[in-house]
Amino acid sequence: MGKDAARAEWDNPMQFVLACVSYAVGLGNVWRFPYLCQMHGGGGFLIPYLLMLVLLGVPLFYMELAIGQKMRLGSIGAWRAINPYLGGVGLASVVTSMYLCLYYNVINAWSFWYLFHSFQSVLPWAECPVNSNLTGHVEECERATPTQYFFYRETLDISGSIEENGGIHMGQALCLLLAWMIVYLFIVKGVKSTGKVVYFTATFPYLVLIIYLIRGVTLHGAINGVKYMFTPKMEQLANPTTWINAATQIFFSLGLGFGSLIAFASYNQYNNNFEKQAIVVSMVNSSTSIFASIVTFSIYGFKATFNYESCLERVRLLLLNTFDLAEDTISLENVIHWIAELNRTHPEQFASLGGRLETCDLEAELDTAVEGTGLAFIVYSEAIKNMPVSQLWSVLYFIMLLLLGMGSMLGNVIAVITPLSDLKFISRYMSTKTLNGLVCLFCLLLGLGFTTHSGNYWFTMFNDYGATFSLLFIVLIEVITVCYIYGIKRFEKDVEDMLGHRLNCYWKIMLAGVSPILLIALFIFYIVNYIQGGTPTYQAWNKELGKSVVTEYPPYAQAFIGLLLASSVCCIPLTALYTYCKKRNLASGKRERTVSTVSA
Amino acid sequence: MPSLTVPPGAPPILQSLTVPPGAPPILQSLAVTLERMLVRILVLLYLAGAPALAQTLCQPNASNGYRVRISIKTALGNQAYEWNENEMFLFRATMAFAMRRYYKTETYNVDNIIVCNQTRRVSFWFVVISPENPTMLIPKADVEKAVSMSRHRINNAFLLTDRTLEFLGIYPTLAEPVNPDTPPWLIVFGVVIGAVFAGIIALLVSSLLQKRRKEKGMMEDGQDEEDRQMKGVENGINLDGIYNRGFTDDDRFTKL
Repeated sequence: MGKDAARAEWDNPMQFVLACVSYAVGLGNVWRFPYLCQMHGGGGFLIPYLLMLVLLGVPLFYMELAIGQKMRLGSIGAWRAINPYLGGVGLASVVTSMYLCLYYNVINAWSFWYLFHSFQSVLPWAECPVNSNLTGHVEECERATPTQYFFYRETLDISGSIEENGGIHMGQALCLLLAWMIVYLFIVKGVKSTGKVVYFTATFPYLVLIIYLIRGVTLHGAINGVKYMFTPKMEQLANPTTWINAATQIFFSLGLGFGSLIAFASYNQYNNNFEKQAIVVSMVNSSTSIFASIVTFSIYGFKATFNYESCLERVRLLLLNTFDLAEDTISLENVIHWIAELNRTHPEQFASLGGRLETCDLEAELDTAVEGTGLAFIVYSEAIKNMPVSQLWSVLYFIMLLLLGMGSMLGNVIAVITPLSDLKFISRYMSTKTLNGLVCLFCLLLGLGFTTHSGNYWFTMFNDYGATFSLLFIVLIEVITVCYIYGIKRFEKDVEDMLGHRLNCYWKIMLAGVSPILLIALFIFYIVNYIQGGTPTYQAWNKELGKSVVTEYPPYAQAFIGLLLASSVCCIPLTALYTYCKKRNLASGKRERTVSTVSA
Repeated sequence: MPSLTVPPGAPPILQSLTVPPGAPPILQSLAVTLERMLVRILVLLYLAGAPALAQTLCQPNASNGYRVRISIKTALGNQAYEWNENEMFLFRATMAFAMRRYYKTETYNVDNIIVCNQTRRVSFWFVVISPENPTMLIPKADVEKAVSMSRHRINNAFLLTDRTLEFLGIYPTLAEPVNPDTPPWLIVFGVVIGAVFAGIIALLVSSLLQKRRKEKGMMEDGQDEEDRQMKGVENGINLDGIYNRGFTDDDRFTKL
């Protein structure tokens, strides 16, 4: 369309593809996918995952790119152009992206914190710090593990519950400031600067992943983890949660519904072949997930084997000391045999061991499924501290996390800024640089709330509720709008105009038939799950016990959750209502004017 | 009346052997011989039984003794040495050294360290007896302080560490944590944030300079107001009028 001839553009289509890859390949590929694989039967999980990719992921990705490239506007403008009553869909996307911007950069702040603390001769999470009178270690650290202590006490300085607020953790605040400054540096000149940055943020994580793959599979015990992950447990396929988790993972991993893809595509040339690019990016995203989970599981295998062998060593020492046997009688291999032997020959003495005798189980170590941000920081740093030259691996790992996080962050921020800069009343009064700076400053100031002592609990709340339910609703409305309100025929004509060939039947069937049905099913499942789940709870860190305890949210926090969910979803009906009223006023105004001219 | 001087520490039985006056001379000489024999026997027993006495001083769970546990193979692996009498001798000598260092005297010797109850684990009990008084044990607290003071030297004598040469009950004092004035992470942080700040300033300044150069260039070309208006596109902001939708396909846009 001639109107936007002066709109900024990517320098070449490669930049667009790399921007999409950088956005889609994020922390979820490294953390959440391996967890789901582990939970839902290892290699067998790939079946529902790939099926959902084909049925849900690729068609919706294609649709969002098509809309952005056609309308050449951010999400608000694009949806308003499709149907003025449903302009609220774009607004809801912007609100959801705003929530994501607020809390996602806190993860990058943590990555910076860990990265900067890796430049020490002994990694600070490798050992417990000594207490004040030098007699032993700090109590909280003794009860938990050094890595947990470092995360909960030194990184977050976490309070006991969401109600105890405390002040801001200065170190965290500084790291968050740095994270936002870097985001601003990457987007300050719009797609011109972003386009150059994505060359690095999209490719360097793969380099680190390859290095880690080589390091990971050569670690002692890594094969246990990889074997565990890939052993398919086919009975899990009968569990409906497996399929639902597969669909959700594809959905959120590709970043559908946030408006970032629309924003990225709006800077494309009109005739860019986005069909091929949609398929390429989706495939790259899924294969990165699988690749990253091999790396993750080899590291888990190493960690589990290390813990298992440490457990055996402790049991061996306990037996040697209690029964005063010579050192070389019990070795790590025959500890189990000796336990049975000693139980038989010295039953009373054996009984006196009582609770001190631990049971060491490799399967149990591997079974400790790990998911989510905090746990993943703890588990990975625990594995890294046991590697030789751990400082190097730590630095590499956290740089990779930072690049993945920053790449996704770029997409999130652009999803907010593009529609705002398209609004005429903003673009008239300030330049893009000022707008970008203001958005970054605003998000930084609000994000400081996540650096308080109870900040992690608010973070978890945003992570669990801020973007999950609203996204499903947004994408469902998107698909229904494009296929039934705008019309699949009109959409087909637009695509033909851009690409030069018609939509083939795969896209038509998926977009008009399969995807809406799957989305409705997902949506219903979420609602049912939420209602059945009872009062929402969270994991509060108890410093006396040295572990997390499940706590219920207080009433005002539950109200806030409701507000989070409602604020983005309500945009859609409210905007529709507003547009309807405006049209009615305009129509009645016109009628009045015509009446007056006639009378005059 | 011949009376033997009964040594002051003699058992009561000797003290009761004073012959009553008026006893026949044969009884007196018998008593004397008996006394002499008893004393010799007792002295002999005493000398022979000194180690036995000392052994009774050293017992498992003795109130003034410590248990030592040594794990050579854990510490040294392939280069582990055999624990034998010579190593035990070295241990006793090292302990004597520790006591000497603590009390700042030169009276302690290998004999003052008694060891008992050695097991295959290589664990044993030891007590320290005072050089002046062989029946007196050095109290537990003093032994602990002496060991703590020379712990490093004792460990090194055996190529072991605090964990592999354990004195059960004596906890090693942990090293003082090194607290630098500026935490190292702040230094790295400072470097990175400085670089980012410089980058932002550089980008902003360069784009400002570019804009100024473009403006100057346009004014020097002598373009007047009309031309600029006719161009309609300046700095990316479209100065056209509203796009007239009257000439486009109706079915591309939703009817309002």
